[in-house]
Amino acid sequence: MHRRSPTATVCLYATLVLGALVMLAPLAWMLLTSLKTYPEILRNPPAWLPAKPQWENYRTVWEGFAYYRFFLNSVFVAVMVIAGTLLTCCPAAYAFAYYDVRHKELIFGALLCTLMLPAQVTVIPLFKAFAAIHWVNTYLPLIVPAWLGGNVFGIFLLRQFFRTIPRSFIEAARLDGASEWTILWRLVVPMSLPAVLTVVIFTFLWSWNDLFNPLVYLQSESLVTLPVGLLYFIARAEQLTGGSLGSTPWHLVMTLATVMVVPVIVLFAFVQRRFVEGVAATGVKG
Amino acid sequence: MNHRRAETFWFWLFAGPAVVGFAAFSLWPMLESLWLSFCSYEVIAPPRFIGLQNYAYLFAHDLSFWPSVKVTLVFTVIQLPLAIGAALALALLLNQPVRGRGFWRAVYFLPSILPQAVFAVVFGYIFQADGGLLNRLLALGGIHGAAWTTSPTWALPVLIVISLWGFGYPMVIFLGGLQNVPRELYEAAHIDGAGAWARFRHITLPLISPVIFFNVVMGLIGSLKVFDLAYAFSVAQAQPTPGGPARATLFYGLNLYQQAFGYFHMGLASAMAWLLFAFILVVTFINFRVSRRWVHYGD
Amino acid sequence: MFSRYRDALLWFAFALLAAAGFWWAGRRHEPPATPGRAVISWYVIITPLRDLYMAEVAAFEKLNPEIEVQIFWVPGSEYNVKLKTLAAAHQLPDLFFSGDVWVSYLRPFSRDLTPLVQRDAAEFGLDDFFPEIRRAMQLDGKDYILPEYVNLSLLYYNRRMFAAAGLPEPTADWTWDDLVRAGQALTHEGQDGAPPVWGSSRVEGWWGEWLIYVRQAGGKAFSPDGHRCLLDSREAITGLRFYLEKSSKHHISAPAGFEPLNGFVNQRVAMIVGGHINYWVNYNQTLGLDWDVQLLPTGPASRSGGELAIAGYSISQESRHPEEAWALAKFLTRPEAIAAVVARGNLSVRRSVAETVMGAPGPHANPRHLAAAYRQFAFGEPIPHHPNYIEIMLTVVQPEIDRMLLGELTPEEAGRRAAAAVNAFLATFDPAKP
Repeated sequence: MHRRSPTATVCLYATLVLGALVMLAPLAWMLLTSLKTYPEILRNPPAWLPAKPQWENYRTVWEGFAYYRFFLNSVFVAVMVIAGTLLTCCPAAYAFAYYDVRHKELIFGALLCTLMLPAQVTVIPLFKAFAAIHWVNTYLPLIVPAWLGGNVFGIFLLRQFFRTIPRSFIEAARLDGASEWTILWRLVVPMSLPAVLTVVIFTFLWSWNDLFNPLVYLQSESLVTLPVGLLYFIARAEQLTGGSLGSTPWHLVMTLATVMVVPVIVLFAFVQRRFVEGVAATGVKG
Repeated sequence: MNHRRAETFWFWLFAGPAVVGFAAFSLWPMLESLWLSFCSYEVIAPPRFIGLQNYAYLFAHDLSFWPSVKVTLVFTVIQLPLAIGAALALALLLNQPVRGRGFWRAVYFLPSILPQAVFAVVFGYIFQADGGLLNRLLALGGIHGAAWTTSPTWALPVLIVISLWGFGYPMVIFLGGLQNVPRELYEAAHIDGAGAWARFRHITLPLISPVIFFNVVMGLIGSLKVFDLAYAFSVAQAQPTPGGPARATLFYGLNLYQQAFGYFHMGLASAMAWLLFAFILVVTFINFRVSRRWVHYGD
Repeated sequence: MFSRYRDALLWFAFALLAAAGFWWAGRRHEPPATPGRAVISWYVIITPLRDLYMAEVAAFEKLNPEIEVQIFWVPGSEYNVKLKTLAAAHQLPDLFFSGDVWVSYLRPFSRDLTPLVQRDAAEFGLDDFFPEIRRAMQLDGKDYILPEYVNLSLLYYNRRMFAAAGLPEPTADWTWDDLVRAGQALTHEGQDGAPPVWGSSRVEGWWGEWLIYVRQAGGKAFSPDGHRCLLDSREAITGLRFYLEKSSKHHISAPAGFEPLNGFVNQRVAMIVGGHINYWVNYNQTLGLDWDVQLLPTGPASRSGGELAIAGYSISQESRHPEEAWALAKFLTRPEAIAAVVARGNLSVRRSVAETVMGAPGPHANPRHLAAAYRQFAFGEPIPHHPNYIEIMLTVVQPEIDRMLLGELTPEEAGRRAAAAVNAFLATFDPAKP
């Protein structure tokens, strides 16, 4: 490979660093604001760094505004959704990858079509039905679809990966007398861990970041998940602080935003390579 | 039990839940919403068939329908090329021999996986007219900043800017595509004396055109469905009604949500949903047709 | 090859956990009624009065050991949508906070309280409610709300800023011209980076302020039967023009979009026309804010036109414990409860309480002109009872008003376009029409 000129190298890295700063600036401002006092956020010209980091803000929102509740709700929904996704998407992907059944491709194609279907098209009949069976204001509308293979993208991704496993492995296990169920969970899934992990993270992100469905289905304040909780907090901040602050307590809002973002960043830091490669694969093969 | 029947049995046992889920949560709601789109359904009373009146109202009378179509299209037309361009540019940069490629990739990708609601809230704070970071910085330079978030002129551009932080998915997919381009082709072109632009134009672009196509289709569908960003932005700005100021950020998805769950015009909202669905189908179809001309699938 | 027993055990554990998860996910919010004890649910908007309500409920449960009350808090901005959603899902709480802006839509889900009101009129003192409040309570002569609150449009002003400018405080005889004159004397454009101070705020984004001017100029939002919008009348347009010219001509208010956040609390605006009584608590908690109220300035056609909106308690039609919910509603609107609400900074819906407060001011010195506030009752107008009132005002009319403020439309165009749009809307969605 030919060598780059030193000028080009400097330009390349300068662009990368500058771009990265721009990308991360809002997050940095969010974090810094979350550590300030109320007078500090009003100061003009702006105070860049908090004079003394106010970790107390985190205690205030966590305990004072019962923010742990939104957090735990989010965790609960995410765990249930992930469990359901794995339990139903892995077998479905296995079935579509290995079994030869009439109309299989047709069924799979129909499933894939739903990837194009906007949530807005289905939400009204679903709301109507969930209301009729009294599921509105419970977590069931958020969770049950995941237990019925709701993550079609996950099925697709796993099927692509399962197909790369040599059939001879599976035949050998069958000859050993292993049941299909055992082969799936003891052989195929462990061999496909990268794909399974990608699906888990995608599912987590969708559930954790979702604003639309919780907004539609959860009505009680004690039930809502983080994204809705964040907006609730902004909507009622003035009332909660008893009007003692002249305007929105942005430092506390940013504290909440940080609480919401940190788990995602931590998780991403652990699995970023694998995850990013998973995403790249969807494009190339898709 | 013979082999074939056993296989059928296991297939339905394994794929059955997903197929049931498909029927219950996609197929049936889709058809029911088609039926509802021909009904007056205000929730107070059961649906009542009214033919095409919902569609007629949307096209002829509804004050929010066309503005929301316009907002969504303007957003798509401006945001999509910018996002795809930025994603491709960065992918090209990162495809160079760079130290710590994984790190850079992660940094540029990170904002894309964070909740849109958080971005809307944080940026709403930064862009605030009175006391926001941007205007304070501008004031340091003696510039009187605009009312970014409360002016109908600026609110949509602000949302476009915010959404540009989320180009991570197309960027990573481009990177994957670029890495599939055989190195030898570049070497050969280099020896032939082709410049950087010529190499990009005649080697890279044709070879990654399927990936560009994929990103355009996904980006298009994504921007037609924008909801979280616009809704969270409205709440963070304490707008009395989502999509303000003066419908400047009333995205189609937000308008649909408002009609359905803010005002309970469920029949009307179903008609909006089906128009959206039909539009997405048509756009995707056209996209596939057009792509035959410029997408080169390697054989 | 594989340990079947261990796998079976693991799947069993998974199934148990999943079952527990589903139980938790689908758990109903109202606990099963313990024998002999009725559980009633109550939806309330989160306000600074949260602690007061908790205390009231505790006192109520002590008095009525056979009733258990469950409170659900909802942020004000979400309340309307939440309540409608629950109504649609047939999950309305037994008792909920309702107001004349919501009652028309929620009417099919709300219990007709007339028989209960008539039965217990003497007990809870029906005659004690102000006649204006009593009128606003009713829909077609039937009662759906037991009132607790009233919001009334008033003129709010900052006493310190008036004194600093050497201006006499507003009087009951003020007109729009007086408002403009005083506003101009109080306005200071920001210099040397100091933020500007405005003579008057301008409430943007909803009808709170502009509707006052429309009505005081002799206009109306709707025809009396509610089937036509009248914002294109010459009188209505006069009102809209005054609203616009507060900034564009008289320069007493910030230009569109630059309204200082919470300007009155931060002492960056000196006067508010309209305002909201909910904010009294906040004003009184703000150190250094010395404020008062006065009758609204008189418009070219009339003195009345300010808002008189009531809110109180409604009972769900599907409630299994209407008598218990009714008992709680009565408890929350008894004179002592109203007095506690009023003591935090509020107007009273009951005459007896109002008379007591005016005789002996509560812990807060402000507002001093309480008598003026109660006089304004007579000039307040109830909100039109239309099921889609909020939607029409916020989504059909308001964007045209917003565009007017931005200079895109003249007041004539804004009024005409808004009226045409509302009439098209009513032609399609008016549930009152056959």
